[in-house]
Amino acid sequence: MHDVVTFSNVSKRFGQATLALDDVSLRVPRGQTTVLLGLSGSGKSTLLRHVDGLQRATAGTVTVLGTDLATVSGTRLRALRRRVGFVFQQFHLVGTLTVLENVCTGALGALRGPRLGLATYPKHVRHEALRHLDRVGLAEQAFQRADTLSGGQQQRVAIARALLQRPEVLLADEPVASLDPESAGQVMRLLREISTEQDLTVLCSLHQVDLALSWGDRVVGLRSGRVVLDRETAGLDRGEAMAVYSAVATVPAAA
Amino acid sequence: MTRPVLDRRTVPAPSGPGVAASVVVLAILGAGVWAAGDLGINIATLVDSASNVADFAQRMFPLDFPEIGELLRLSGITLAIVISATLLSVLLSVPAAVLAASNTTPGNTARLGSRALIVLARAVPDVVLAIVFIRVFGLGSMAGVLAMGLHSVGMIGKLYADAVEQIDEGPRTAVRAGGAGRLQELTTGVLPQVLPAFVSTALHRFDINLRVSVLLGFVGVDGLGFAIAGAFRELDYQRGMALAFVVLVLCVLAELLSGAVRRALAHAPPSPPRPARGRISPPWTGSRVRRTGYALVAALVVVASLWGAELSPAGFFSGLGQLGTTLGLFWPPETGGILPDLLAALWQTVKIALAATLLGAVLALPIGALAARNVAPSPRVAAVFRGLIVLIRGVPELVLAVVFVVLTGLGAVAGTLALAVGAVGLLGKLVADSLEEVDERVENAVSATGASRWQVFASATVPQAAPAFVGHVLYQLDVNIRSATLLGIVGAGGIGFYLQNASRVLEFGVVTTVLLLVFALAMVVELIALWLRRVAGRR
Repeated sequence: MHDVVTFSNVSKRFGQATLALDDVSLRVPRGQTTVLLGLSGSGKSTLLRHVDGLQRATAGTVTVLGTDLATVSGTRLRALRRRVGFVFQQFHLVGTLTVLENVCTGALGALRGPRLGLATYPKHVRHEALRHLDRVGLAEQAFQRADTLSGGQQQRVAIARALLQRPEVLLADEPVASLDPESAGQVMRLLREISTEQDLTVLCSLHQVDLALSWGDRVVGLRSGRVVLDRETAGLDRGEAMAVYSAVATVPAAA
Repeated sequence: MTRPVLDRRTVPAPSGPGVAASVVVLAILGAGVWAAGDLGINIATLVDSASNVADFAQRMFPLDFPEIGELLRLSGITLAIVISATLLSVLLSVPAAVLAASNTTPGNTARLGSRALIVLARAVPDVVLAIVFIRVFGLGSMAGVLAMGLHSVGMIGKLYADAVEQIDEGPRTAVRAGGAGRLQELTTGVLPQVLPAFVSTALHRFDINLRVSVLLGFVGVDGLGFAIAGAFRELDYQRGMALAFVVLVLCVLAELLSGAVRRALAHAPPSPPRPARGRISPPWTGSRVRRTGYALVAALVVVASLWGAELSPAGFFSGLGQLGTTLGLFWPPETGGILPDLLAALWQTVKIALAATLLGAVLALPIGALAARNVAPSPRVAAVFRGLIVLIRGVPELVLAVVFVVLTGLGAVAGTLALAVGAVGLLGKLVADSLEEVDERVENAVSATGASRWQVFASATVPQAAPAFVGHVLYQLDVNIRSATLLGIVGAGGIGFYLQNASRVLEFGVVTTVLLLVFALAMVVELIALWLRRVAGRR
């Protein structure tokens, strides 16, 4: 199988003191769903942000869809980002714009020039955006301001925005950590369905071990920026996964 | 060995920086008292001028309004110049702010360079720019638009940069993650977040520029100010005061209108009903029709202003060709053999500003307190004093100065009293606002102990608002020093007289010297204010 994302001995340092990623090596084949587990501050977000070139490695190489991110130029980086969708914990919608315009912003990478207002997006983009909005069940809210929606609804809009990019890779950084259990269930179901339908390569960080085991093909555990677990979920024991969360590496999980 | 509790001090030991700050504030107050005495502002002067009031009223009434067509023409020109100037400064401020804000700047050089340009724009008074531009482009509108437009960048650019620095970076990151370019990131990830602040700042500056336009009339910029200056020059007070009254009405109307727009911007529009299936543009609800209507009216007003201000690109470029020659006239700085006079006038300007700040604070503190809803004895009293403050804010300082020049004669007293009264408009509002912003739970706690209204005011309301008061008074001093340099243009004392005089007799080297002196003074005040804010913040 062809590798879509490759990390080779990647380290990321913030300032002198913090080592956010410590010699991480990882290969993600096409179509695989990889769940990242780990405590807050263990490097999950930093790892995901490296895949989209939002952060650059201090050492080592990151290759995404055949592009080496260390040397990539501005234009080619933007072209690559179009093929990679990103769903954030805090949704990151533009609150004062309508829901439909927020979805349309997913097409900015494919369009040229600045866009101000819904009417400045081409019709075909708006039609496609509405279709994705319908897919996430929010077509009726198309013309509301995004900041009037609930958290779960905003996250579904963010998913529609990512879909408009027609991505090959989907990154999700704790997509349900800010949501109540019911909205969280809805959003997770949506992410699972979409990744199957569109055969996406998914990298998703989560806090729920059970969810990780039932959804993911593979679990990667991080602690202090190091990969401490990297296994297929088939046959993986819940206790082994929980061990990622224990503060000291040598103490076996009590779960 | 620790001392027994009963022997310890019951008042804390004074802290170093706290003492320093108190000393400076007291020194400024003392300087204000001294300056007021030195300028001859005392009960006798005030009684003397009071006796002039009847005399002045006689010369002023009946007000002589020009015929309605002429009145509309003058008001139209003034509004056109002010709107065009504000638009120009917004257009210049947006890129300046993007370069100056730490989160959007391409690099440190661009950031510091842009910050420096913004500070420079604020430091050069608009009236000085107007004097220069009138040499370049001739009498009329263009000089006024450019002068106010460039000077306003000092305020608008700074506030825009602050707004950009305060955005939520999330949406911008999301837009970037989708492959957007730098410009798209700004227009989609940043602009929608800062738009309300941008509009509100522009409206605020529009109010200020409307007042300033009167002053620019005295150096030859077209409109109501020009007509007022002409009337006063001919000692036609009936006409002059009538036009000043028109400016007052325009200022109050502008204040009300921009207040309404700002309040409307603060509210999200109601969500539209469920749209028809497959619709890709928002339905035309009443609220959308209304908003579109307002936007169209605003656009029409702006277009009409650009047309009304008669900004001819040809005139602009031919003037621009002479800019080098004209600027050459202003260099090198010359003293014209009157350096001691200039320094004495500058010193008088400082005294005017200090005395006016003191008197203004004395007037503004009680008026501001009575205008605060949580302090005033009844809501009606609060409303009356709020109204008074808005009314005073509406009167351009220059009109006040002209009135006081007539009442007290030419000189520093007129300038001081004009600025002191004018200070009520700004300082009174700031005092009232900061009193209303105090935590009312603290007030409730104190009154629950059985304290009287005065005790609550003294021990719960004032201590909470006091740090803000100090900042407001310093800000007023800063504003007054800038204004005091200009009021001399109408004969209200200080260095402004020499500014006007030198430009009238074409001694542009002297204009430059005056400008450098004023600039140095403003910088000194800025540094003192900066230091005080840092010291006060450390406590």
